[in-house]
Amino acid sequence: MLTMIKRWRALRKRGVMGINERNGDFVLKYNNRKFYPYVDDKIITKERAIAAGINVPEMYGVIETESDIKHLRKILKDKTEFVIKPAQGAGGDGIIVIGDKFDDYRYKTVSGRLITLDEIEYQISSTLTGLYSLGGARDRALIEYKVSSDPIFSSISYEGVPDIRVIVLMGYPIMAMLRLPTRQSGGKANLHQGAIGVGVDIETGKTLEGTWLNEIIQRHPDTNNHVSNVTLPNWEGFLELATSCYELSQLGYIGVDMVLDETKGPLVLEINARPGLNIQIANNAGLAARARKVEAHLAELKKAGKPAESIAERMAFSQQYFGDSMVESLEG
Amino acid sequence: MRSVNLHLKVLIFLLISLGLGSIAYERYVLQIPFTDREVENLWTIDAKITFDVPRESSVSTKFYIPASYNQYTKFSESLITDKQYGQVLEEDEVGNKVAHYSIRRTKGPETIYYRLALSPNFGGTEKPAETIGTTYRESIPMEGAAKVAADALVSDIRATSSNTLSFISEAIRRVNDIDNANVALLLKGDDSVKNRYAVAELLLSQAHIPVQRVNTLELKPSVDQPTQIWLRSYIETSNRDKDSNRNITTGKWYYFNLTDGSVGLPKNAIIWWVGDDPLVTVNNGLKPKVSFSVTDKELTAISLAQANNAESSDFLAYSLYSLPISIQYGYELMLMIPFGVLVILLVRNVIGIQTLGTFTPVLIALAFRETGLAFGIAFFTIITSVGLLVRSYLEHLKLQMLSRLSVVLTFVIIMIAVLSIFSYKMGFAQGLAIGLFPMVILTMTIERLSITWEERGAGNVLKISMGTLVASSLAYLLMEIPEFVYFVFTFPGVLLVLAGFMLMMGRYRGYRLTELKRFKAMLKEEK
Repeated sequence: MLTMIKRWRALRKRGVMGINERNGDFVLKYNNRKFYPYVDDKIITKERAIAAGINVPEMYGVIETESDIKHLRKILKDKTEFVIKPAQGAGGDGIIVIGDKFDDYRYKTVSGRLITLDEIEYQISSTLTGLYSLGGARDRALIEYKVSSDPIFSSISYEGVPDIRVIVLMGYPIMAMLRLPTRQSGGKANLHQGAIGVGVDIETGKTLEGTWLNEIIQRHPDTNNHVSNVTLPNWEGFLELATSCYELSQLGYIGVDMVLDETKGPLVLEINARPGLNIQIANNAGLAARARKVEAHLAELKKAGKPAESIAERMAFSQQYFGDSMVESLEG
Repeated sequence: MRSVNLHLKVLIFLLISLGLGSIAYERYVLQIPFTDREVENLWTIDAKITFDVPRESSVSTKFYIPASYNQYTKFSESLITDKQYGQVLEEDEVGNKVAHYSIRRTKGPETIYYRLALSPNFGGTEKPAETIGTTYRESIPMEGAAKVAADALVSDIRATSSNTLSFISEAIRRVNDIDNANVALLLKGDDSVKNRYAVAELLLSQAHIPVQRVNTLELKPSVDQPTQIWLRSYIETSNRDKDSNRNITTGKWYYFNLTDGSVGLPKNAIIWWVGDDPLVTVNNGLKPKVSFSVTDKELTAISLAQANNAESSDFLAYSLYSLPISIQYGYELMLMIPFGVLVILLVRNVIGIQTLGTFTPVLIALAFRETGLAFGIAFFTIITSVGLLVRSYLEHLKLQMLSRLSVVLTFVIIMIAVLSIFSYKMGFAQGLAIGLFPMVILTMTIERLSITWEERGAGNVLKISMGTLVASSLAYLLMEIPEFVYFVFTFPGVLLVLAGFMLMMGRYRGYRLTELKRFKAMLKEEK
């Protein structure tokens, strides 16, 4: 009991955010429910992003009804690489990633499994009935460009595409994490499925230590390579993309998931209105401590009667205060 | 945000104080006990009136019955006879209630029972308006030796008393002092209570103090209890009113014990009638006699409160107890649901155990009410495992989700039926208790679990099922405590307190206990 209280206070001191705190003080406070469809439906997110000039994977087509499924062949045509995902899916469920075409009737998934067109259609049909959507509501299936991972990650990633998540509070990026798929996660970048989270220094884009299933690790379990001290290419581009998602989503507390495409550079994959908290373990830093810093800054701006800051100003603020060297001064 | 905070605090304060207030009102004003284990005595007094009718004639009896019940309230009152007696009630000038029982034609020994049941006072605090007595009376004329003795006693009493109250006490004490020559002379060798009362009255009349004889019955289990004689007097006292600077006179009946002169009726004494008249008089009847027997019967306090207050208290008349019994059971269950929800709230938000959906665990807890806990858990485990097995088998057939789920549900129902038959054959009657309600809950649970399996995998299903079972068991155990169920049903105001607490929980920002474990790795680093 006493150790529990001690641990509680130590975590508070470090500014570690708990689920109740995230829900009450951030998600409920900063995220207006009426804007949730902007992020909960990937098709709407994509449409808004394109309109705002934010880079996203190209959309090949949308299937809305059972009878639409017959258009699948037309949408796919001779494409050999594509992704099919539920528009309202969460946590990476119900996603098929096709890496190659085997023959007229069969495709190969990135993990090497052969999948027939019938099976793809069956999965799309399940998606439409709402199998993968939150609360089981009817859904749409989305067919889009398959991102090809930048070779920089090949040494520290197992199959799949690593993605970069940035938590953005009121337009200020406050914490970042690189998510690396593992054999256990089946090539998916979701931490709860066994992917590795690696903290990223907001200032420089350099990776820090990793976390795997709530444990701190140094090396990737599949490739055995060190995960820290890798400098992410085009970090400024990622930060700018994440920062601008505040305007795109109208939500104050979001997790922006991005990927680095070999040819197209940083792309926004999806936006999450209730981002998970393991990013704190990966960064070995508390989200609440950083969030309070941003809130104090916003309050100062308001007091001084200054207008809201631009994307560049916000990025500069975050890079100044949330760089790895500054982190210690925030805590305690 | 600040104004919202204030708003919330005010709301929480209002809800909690309203809830606590209503509980306090019920407890301390309506006197409703906190637990149904508090048993109270229901006193039943049977007055058996017997007399003999020598030859066939019409008979009318005049019988005093209590007009007030001291600290008690009337639970019921009835006349038990083997013949049809007409009855008329009237009130006499000193405030006595008189019952006239009459019959046109009868002969031989007659017995009439008057039964009065009294219970402790719930709800009703109203007291019957007291009659006002006189404060002066003419002296009873006396002569000779008796007069001398009385005068000597009165002047003696006057010397040792300061006011009417102490005068009466002192007079009674003297009358009980049989060694005193003057008293002995007045008692004339008869030292019965009745005669002592007569002598006391005589003495007090010399000082112009009016008194009345009070006949009481004691509430203690007894057979053939005689009535006791008390003396009462209406005494006025003057107080100076500070505002108007005038003397305010208030009067009150004082009751005196005839054996020792002490003041005040005990709690368990019931005034049956006031005055010197006999308790019962019978026209055309011989040897009238009344004997009292008193018994106490234990009743749960709430059933008394119920019966008492049906007409006397508006509050209880509009309480859940005014509903038909069968409907009450339904509400008993319903009122407990918020407490089940509270358990889920604590388990999820404070402890951090994952459960299947938000309210599914409460529904499962309700299903446990019909099956019992151990059997319910076994049932839940078996049925859901089989349901999930069927589901994973159907996975290979590539069916659409809806039809697949329908097949699963059908099999679940078959399973339930089979299990019921087996458990019945094995002697578990609970197997039959599976009603429609738990069936629906189970099938819903399997549907949700299979979707979770699809999305998150078998390990997650196991974790969530365990969490759900723990949460439902806790909720069930809380919802099943009989004292607690009674309390909530009797004091529904507790739900407002609960709502206030839930609102507070809505602002709970602390860690969940499981998060302390989850983030443990972040603290190791520091050491």
